[in-house]
Amino acid sequence: MRLLLVEDDAMIGTGVRAALRQDGYVVDWVQDGAAAEAALAAEPAFALVLLDLGLPKKDGLALLEGLRRRGKRIPVLIITARDAVADRVRGLDLGADDYLVKPFELDELSARIRALLRRHAGRAEPVIEFGGFRLDPTTRKVSYLGRDVNVSGREFSLLTALLERPGRPLSRAQLEERLYGWGEEIASNSVEVHVHNLRRKLGERAIRTVRGAGYVIDEAPAEACRSAASSS
Amino acid sequence: MSIRRKLLLALLAALVVTGLAASGATWLEVRRQANELFDYQLEQMALSLADQPLAASAELVPQLGLGQDYVVQVWDAGGVLAYISKNGAPLPPSTSGYDNVALDGEDWRVFTLQTPDRTIQVAAPAELRSGRATAMALRILVPILATIPVYGLIIWLIVGEGLRPLYEIARAIRRRQPASLEPLPERGLPDEVAPMVTELNALLERLRDALERQKRFTADAAHELRSPLTALQVQLDMLSRARTAEETRDALDALRAGMKRASRLVEQMLTMARLEPEAPLAQPALVALDALASQVAGELEPLAEARRIELRLERLEPARVAGDATALHALARNLADNAIRYTPFGGAVRLAAFSEEGHAVLQVEDTGPGIPAEERSRVFDRFYRLPGSSVEGSGLGLAIAKQVADAHGAEIALADAAGGHGLRVTVRFKAVSAA
Repeated sequence: MRLLLVEDDAMIGTGVRAALRQDGYVVDWVQDGAAAEAALAAEPAFALVLLDLGLPKKDGLALLEGLRRRGKRIPVLIITARDAVADRVRGLDLGADDYLVKPFELDELSARIRALLRRHAGRAEPVIEFGGFRLDPTTRKVSYLGRDVNVSGREFSLLTALLERPGRPLSRAQLEERLYGWGEEIASNSVEVHVHNLRRKLGERAIRTVRGAGYVIDEAPAEACRSAASSS
Repeated sequence: MSIRRKLLLALLAALVVTGLAASGATWLEVRRQANELFDYQLEQMALSLADQPLAASAELVPQLGLGQDYVVQVWDAGGVLAYISKNGAPLPPSTSGYDNVALDGEDWRVFTLQTPDRTIQVAAPAELRSGRATAMALRILVPILATIPVYGLIIWLIVGEGLRPLYEIARAIRRRQPASLEPLPERGLPDEVAPMVTELNALLERLRDALERQKRFTADAAHELRSPLTALQVQLDMLSRARTAEETRDALDALRAGMKRASRLVEQMLTMARLEPEAPLAQPALVALDALASQVAGELEPLAEARRIELRLERLEPARVAGDATALHALARNLADNAIRYTPFGGAVRLAAFSEEGHAVLQVEDTGPGIPAEERSRVFDRFYRLPGSSVEGSGLGLAIAKQVADAHGAEIALADAAGGHGLRVTVRFKAVSAA
């Protein structure tokens, strides 16, 4: 899951980026409004924007307004020191999905990000369940067919990406965009390596290769569902 | 004491004093005139008896129509008392002409006429005459004294009316909200009160400005504190999340840096708050800019060393200014500190102090990124930071320098450094010649 962090304060940016990476997100961090705009225009794969308001070059609210005017539906979480009610109302009315006032605690930030991602995916329940998978974004625990599976951070992100729009295949390039931030070295076969490792842990049928389209997670086979139900 | 009461008492006292003086003068004058009149009367009486036969005196005197108080004595040539108009002890003989004598503890005015065959004495008690004078003086004084309460009342009312604008101002001040610094109405005030109200309003306006500035500063400061506090909160959360020794160490380092940043910001805010704008320099002292530059260089040497920056003192010449030593130190230190912080590792910062064309000049030059011309007017604003600047500055350094410069009537200018790369800050003071 790839996030764009727009924050001009170097210390806060460094800390938040490190924390979000610990949470398993891919984080790209820009320090001014113009760079944020460029990043959003160039990169369609961001799942969410963390937006500071007092930004050099282009103010956060102007950025948000432009984003919504162009019809972008990406969730935006404003993180700002402007705490007046009028500011919050303005931010939300201009199209922000949530508003967090500085200083904040990382746990709250994480929870709000999870909630926004969940709602954006059209789910109310926090746990993702599909095709025999059960993913808990809070604890980052995965179970498949009723069996707990240990997965790495990137593997978790890969599964989340595939389960975002169940049944729709994602290409290798699309997955790479979601799994890696700028400036990260990507081995040419890294997505294949992660898929291979996951299949090793979950079984060959967990992730299906669609020739020419990429990878997809299917509705679980009926007998697998039943065995999952009986084993739980 | 109120002006009203003071005026009342003073005017009444003046009235009483003038009344008394007038009565006193009248009394003296009346007595003088009465004395002349009485003396003349005594003389006329004596003369009227002188050409009458000696024995006729007893019949003549009652006809003169003198009052009971008068005494007439006639002595014959032999010195025997021939006639006395009154029973009792005779007046002692006296020299001719007017005289004052005492008899039985009473003062008498006597006129003695010496003729060849007799001596005639006519006398009247002195009291009779002064009594008349006193009565006349009282006739003047009494109406004056009697009207004093009336005058008092009139004065009280007039003065009260005259002072009404003052009462109204006092009432207007009393009625207003404690925090209200709105100007008082200035229209329709008498000439004596108007300047006071004008001055008061000017003071209120200055107060309002100062308060407004203070409020803005507090709001700005609270807002600006959020960033370092947010950083601290994030760093603290990262520390509690740390699982390995390395993560813990990194988190602690970050936390320490965050603390340092917050402390520096608070310190800068205090410096800023202490530099009360528009306040006259408490006690201008003679400050040597060259000594100040060396002192600041010494203080910042560790910071420069940590950032591998060469801190040089150049062109140190005697340059003295009159001013606030603490504020000037804050100015020099902030300029040098800024230069060191914004200059990349391995750069150089140069401090200079010299005299030039009647100015004492302090100059700080660095090899940092400089400040684009279009930003140069804004960087003196409080909490303004150059866009894209990665340095954890407080945004107060240049604002502090500017404020000190302004307070000293000095001019602060930003320019490209000599090599065209970096920033040169020049502060030009009015020089004080070395005495």
